[in-house]
Amino acid sequence: MTALLDITDLKVTFNTRYGQVTALDGVSLHVNAGETLGVVGESGCGKSITALATMGLIPMPPGRIAGGSIRLAGEELVGASPARMRAMRGADIAMIFQEPMTSLNPVFTVGDQIAEAIMLHQKVSADRAFKDAVALLDRVGIPSPADRARDYPHQLSGGMRQRVMIAMAVSCRPKVLIADEPTTALDVTVQAQIFDLLNEIQRDFGAAIVLITHDMGAISEMADRVAVMYAGRIIEEATADDVLDFPQHPYARGLIDCIPALGREEHALKEIPGVVPPLHLLGAGCAFAERCEHANDRCRQEKPLLVNHDHHPAACHAVEEGRI
Amino acid sequence: MNSSYILRRVGYGLVLMLGVVVLNFLLIRLAPGDPAMVIAGEMGGATEEMLESIREEYGLNKPLVVQLGIYVGNVLQGNLGESFFFNQPVASLIAQRIGPTILLVITAQILSILIGVFLGVIAARKPNGVMSGFVSVFATIGYAVPVFWTGIMLIILFASVFPIFPVEGMQSVRLRGADVFTKTLDIAHHLILPAFTLAIIYLAQYARLSRASMLEVLGSDYIRTARAKGAAEKTVLFKHALRNAALPILTVAGLQFGNLISGALLVETVFNWPGMGRLAFDSILRRDYPTIMGVLFFASAMVVVANILTDISYRWADPRLRGKS
Repeated sequence: MTALLDITDLKVTFNTRYGQVTALDGVSLHVNAGETLGVVGESGCGKSITALATMGLIPMPPGRIAGGSIRLAGEELVGASPARMRAMRGADIAMIFQEPMTSLNPVFTVGDQIAEAIMLHQKVSADRAFKDAVALLDRVGIPSPADRARDYPHQLSGGMRQRVMIAMAVSCRPKVLIADEPTTALDVTVQAQIFDLLNEIQRDFGAAIVLITHDMGAISEMADRVAVMYAGRIIEEATADDVLDFPQHPYARGLIDCIPALGREEHALKEIPGVVPPLHLLGAGCAFAERCEHANDRCRQEKPLLVNHDHHPAACHAVEEGRI
Repeated sequence: MNSSYILRRVGYGLVLMLGVVVLNFLLIRLAPGDPAMVIAGEMGGATEEMLESIREEYGLNKPLVVQLGIYVGNVLQGNLGESFFFNQPVASLIAQRIGPTILLVITAQILSILIGVFLGVIAARKPNGVMSGFVSVFATIGYAVPVFWTGIMLIILFASVFPIFPVEGMQSVRLRGADVFTKTLDIAHHLILPAFTLAIIYLAQYARLSRASMLEVLGSDYIRTARAKGAAEKTVLFKHALRNAALPILTVAGLQFGNLISGALLVETVFNWPGMGRLAFDSILRRDYPTIMGVLFFASAMVVVANILTDISYRWADPRLRGKS
């Protein structure tokens, strides 16, 4: 079976004042219909760039898709005409953003903003679209939706606004829904509600979800499969259970060690030393080598490839050589 | 939009106008020169007795506070006094001239906002593009060049070199008996050069301001959301971005209105436009106090009204401001 969304060897570069940097260096991902793929990694590892590239929203210039392919239901998106991309955006592939507080236009009512998304892709009257918008607000669990539809974003709480964003994103029943850290800006209790909602929406609408997050808790709750990203590359990919229970790559292990566990006696939370290196300073070797306690000379000189080991694919010389 | 808010704003405006009347009166009286001499001068040589009787007649020998009281009382009854020069009520002098001024000022305001904002939006699409450079250069020139010079250059260009527009006045004499439509067209034809002259300086400012404002808005998350919906670029620019970028533009438009009126004074003089600006200019030279104060009164009233309209349009443009006072 071919995947619904199939990203192969995607390369994205940006022109910066440090010269050209490679933000995505051969990223391959796939999502099947009805499946949830979690993409995890620290800030700056390329998660959001992958999402924006898929949406055709990379600002060009300074960005450029330097190679690879993005296929949605068999149709190639890299190099598709702007008009074709516009027709697909919001209809076949939709996105929910990290910041519900700023992602809605402050000068239009939320009902109008959802109705606009509907009218962009379906030949319906403004009246019909607004009624559909109200129904969608109801569907995403907003009380008295007919009144709320006439509210402006500033009159709603963060959780409500994220529900509005979700309603807007699913308004045209997209095949793929990309959720870029949809709960980062929200309270913990609201986070759980949003995840429940996304799960329900997926059941109802049958969309594939790409959940971008750095929250391993969200992964365990939502994801079927997980891809771990680091410095513009996928460094480990497997089912959510495999990654959570048997992380291979030292970076994935680090991420999971960072999760505080109930009942475990701990004096200080573990952390991964250092930060993601700036993209323009990446050398020839493994990007994680500087932060890795298992790194040796080979790690510093040769980029590891994503290959299958005992459990599942991971890009690590130490794992490959059985050193960890 | 609640009407109590509008009523409150109009109330503030009236109080402000009263302050303007008092201030106008005092400012004019602080200026050196004796109006009695001016009035007498118009009638030929004057003896001290004549001057004294003129002062008596016009109430200029009363204490300043009493004069102020009388003036404010008259203004409150709608009486702006009589012109020293024309021997006519100031109100009727202004009534004859305020129409052309309002026409000129509002046309210039609309031209400068429409063209300026459009240029700014186009420039913001490609901040490093040719259009962006053109707007910056044009804005600098437009802002630096004095309005009377622009007027004269436009007259030379469009009246002498390419004689397609009339050089002066508001109506052609030979159309006296023509129908309303022909007359309207004729006025519009006369209006183009002066309105454009007045608009140029502000047009340049609006272009720069809207370019900067749009660039800021285009980096917002909700613009990305609009693109993610599949909205076309022109919808993103003119619907989603411009409405948000409009706030600083509205602010400046309100503030500029006063400058526009003083700019109209020069433009009216250059183009011999039969408006209030010419009257003000001549009245200042003649020390015609009641007329100057009357003109200032109406100019201030126009600024106050413009500011009330700005405040109201603010609340139209940004729903976050509604429900707050």
